[in-house]
Amino acid sequence: MARYLRAVSNPIAAVGESVIEMATHLGAVVTLLARVIRSLFPPRFDIPEFWRNLYKMGNQSVPIVMLTAFFVGGIMVVQSAVFVKRFQATSLLGWGAGYSVLREVGPILIGLMFSGRVGSNNAAELGTMVVTEQIDGLRALSIDPMRYLIVPRVLAMVIMLFLLTILGDLVALGGAMLFGRLIIGIEFGVFYAGLVNSIGVHDLVHGLIKSLVFGLIIAITSCHFGLNTKGGAVGVGRAVNAAVVGAALGIVMSDYFLTYLLT
Amino acid sequence: MIRLEKVYKTWDVPVLQGVDLHLEEGVIWGLIGPAASGKSVLLKTVCGLEKPSRGRVVVDGSDITHFGESEMMSTRRKFGMLFQNNALFDFMTVGENVAFPLLRAGGIDEAEIEERVASRLKAVGLAGSENKMANELSGGMRKRVGIARATIATPPIVVYDEPTAGLDPVTTSKIYDLLRGIQDESHATVMAVSSDIVALRPFVERIAMIYKGRLIYEGAESDLDDCEDPVVYQFIRGELEGPL
Amino acid sequence: MSDKPTQPGLEAPLKFPATIPHKVGGAVFGMVDALGEFFRVLRGTIRYSIWGKRPKGEVLNQMYQVGNKSLLFVCVTLGCLGMVLVYQICLQVNKITGDMSQVGSEFIKGMVHAFVPSLTAMMIATRVGAGIAAEIGSMMVTEQVDALRMSGVEPIEYLIAPRFIATLVMTVFLTIIALAVAVGAGTLMAWASFDVNPVVFFSFEKVTAGDMITGLAKAICFGAAIPVVSGYCGLTTRGGSEGVGSATTRAVINSSLAVIVLDFILSALAYFFLQSRGL
Repeated sequence: MARYLRAVSNPIAAVGESVIEMATHLGAVVTLLARVIRSLFPPRFDIPEFWRNLYKMGNQSVPIVMLTAFFVGGIMVVQSAVFVKRFQATSLLGWGAGYSVLREVGPILIGLMFSGRVGSNNAAELGTMVVTEQIDGLRALSIDPMRYLIVPRVLAMVIMLFLLTILGDLVALGGAMLFGRLIIGIEFGVFYAGLVNSIGVHDLVHGLIKSLVFGLIIAITSCHFGLNTKGGAVGVGRAVNAAVVGAALGIVMSDYFLTYLLT
Repeated sequence: MIRLEKVYKTWDVPVLQGVDLHLEEGVIWGLIGPAASGKSVLLKTVCGLEKPSRGRVVVDGSDITHFGESEMMSTRRKFGMLFQNNALFDFMTVGENVAFPLLRAGGIDEAEIEERVASRLKAVGLAGSENKMANELSGGMRKRVGIARATIATPPIVVYDEPTAGLDPVTTSKIYDLLRGIQDESHATVMAVSSDIVALRPFVERIAMIYKGRLIYEGAESDLDDCEDPVVYQFIRGELEGPL
Repeated sequence: MSDKPTQPGLEAPLKFPATIPHKVGGAVFGMVDALGEFFRVLRGTIRYSIWGKRPKGEVLNQMYQVGNKSLLFVCVTLGCLGMVLVYQICLQVNKITGDMSQVGSEFIKGMVHAFVPSLTAMMIATRVGAGIAAEIGSMMVTEQVDALRMSGVEPIEYLIAPRFIATLVMTVFLTIIALAVAVGAGTLMAWASFDVNPVVFFSFEKVTAGDMITGLAKAICFGAAIPVVSGYCGLTTRGGSEGVGSATTRAVINSSLAVIVLDFILSALAYFFLQSRGL
């Protein structure tokens, strides 16, 4: 209630406060990124930990990403259905679905789901380790948490999201093909022809470059918020929430700039 | 007052394995046992927060085992509970916390609630701290607020889950002194769980010990020292050698 | 928390072999249990939202919380997405026909019935849904929810119903605001990068009543699903800080998934019952 009153009575102070808070986090995230990159030259990090994380993250996220992608393909079809019917532009469905899935919808939605599953889980894990003083325990054993915990996770997340985007794109296009047949009765062949005739490798690359950047953003934000957890179980919940929000913000904003840069 | 008949509780692993217990009215009960032996689960089963997987729980003559959530609500009004970590509502002031059980009971006007909150807070030694937030208080003070909240509605059954966990020995004595004072006024049926048996024993009249989900001792507090069971023997003396 | 059942020291009298049928059976039973619990929460939420007694001002307070948490977030993300979408569409139209006169009205139509409701809801699921689970999960592990129940208060009535009403109402409002922001940002983008006259672009002529009904229905359904799914995730929290973390994670993923699946269903219904009849 106190914050409510202050926000109403002094909106400028409230906005200023959140701007300062955001700037602080942004600064810390960039610092963390710099430290991760520095640990990669020369690449000194815990390799078994990297494989373990890669396996675990893949395990966590493959089903959810496939499910999401499948429905996203369906949604793309349903929403262009009226368009396709109106103009009898059956060959355009493959083009429309391919273009939007590969360039925008695929990377963004798969990124958001990945952030929700893997990024938030990572923040929760690191946050729990912080509040149960396990990170201090690692330091006491003179194990660098950066090399042992952070770098393997960041690498695993970037690579995993990249692979998942390829998989997700395929599933989404498959879903679009299936629902195109079921809902507006477009034969698979027509869809496929529309797809390959108008979509090039550069569209796929466009999306995959985005997925690399999104993976890095998700990894660094979730590590940052996880490592800065304060105050027990309540703090862990807050850290996870902040991590997913930060990642979503980062994904959408960087998507804007990437779209510019890549065309 | 409370009767447990062959109560089983299983989550992923069995937690309670056939507990029979009968608590008479007005008696102060202590429940002891090593960590992860099922103490808190037993406590929560008694007050209807957890449902037993098998068996019966009878409170005040009514079988609550198969009660729905709404019937359970009226049964729970008979209980006051002090939680392990106090469970104070952190979005409320101390006064609102203590008044909460009265507000929900309904039919009491605001002036009376205010007066009862003030007198209850005075009784636990926190007079005049109604408007503080719960997280501004020290551990001992939070415990006192928790006790005030558990007992303000003068429930016939009071349950204390680890009333002195994490407190220093002096504060522990003060808390038990306070509990005894409250008991002398209310004559409620009390069930107290603690792993600090030395501090707990003078407070209680009867004691039950739970181990691996089973009751292995149940009787008068004064007879506990004579118990032959090797687990009980070892546990109450804190010896290194033994089955534990 | 000393009596966590997962801790060692408890021996199972009946040790089932962990065979695959047993595991599968366990998973199925677990899912049935979870579904039953979810519907209990759903039923309770609806019932208490209509008939329950709430603490004074709690719904307003929660509405403020939802709005305060997500207004800026939703505006920034939907603004960026609006610009990106216009950019990508104009790029393609430029390549094929070069006729930009229809882009604006088609873009706005798509925004109203499809993109804005679902993307806004995804953002609200991330921001508000995770927040609800984190809050209620923390109250679970600190036994505050048990304390509520011991005071004769149903947690669904006291905690979830006000959040449900607040999120439902605010999702609708935020969707409308987000629509304005996304369309505005898109108009600016088309003007700045492709020289489309804002007057031509900013045209609502293709938006039908059916589009508006679809968009509104989606916002209402998403706004209802997010707090129920997240509240359910919060109320099923077990364990300490790890439990809160996993509850929050589950809330994000399950409410996002709920939004996507509902979006698919509602879009299909809209297609069959509204759009294909020219509404």
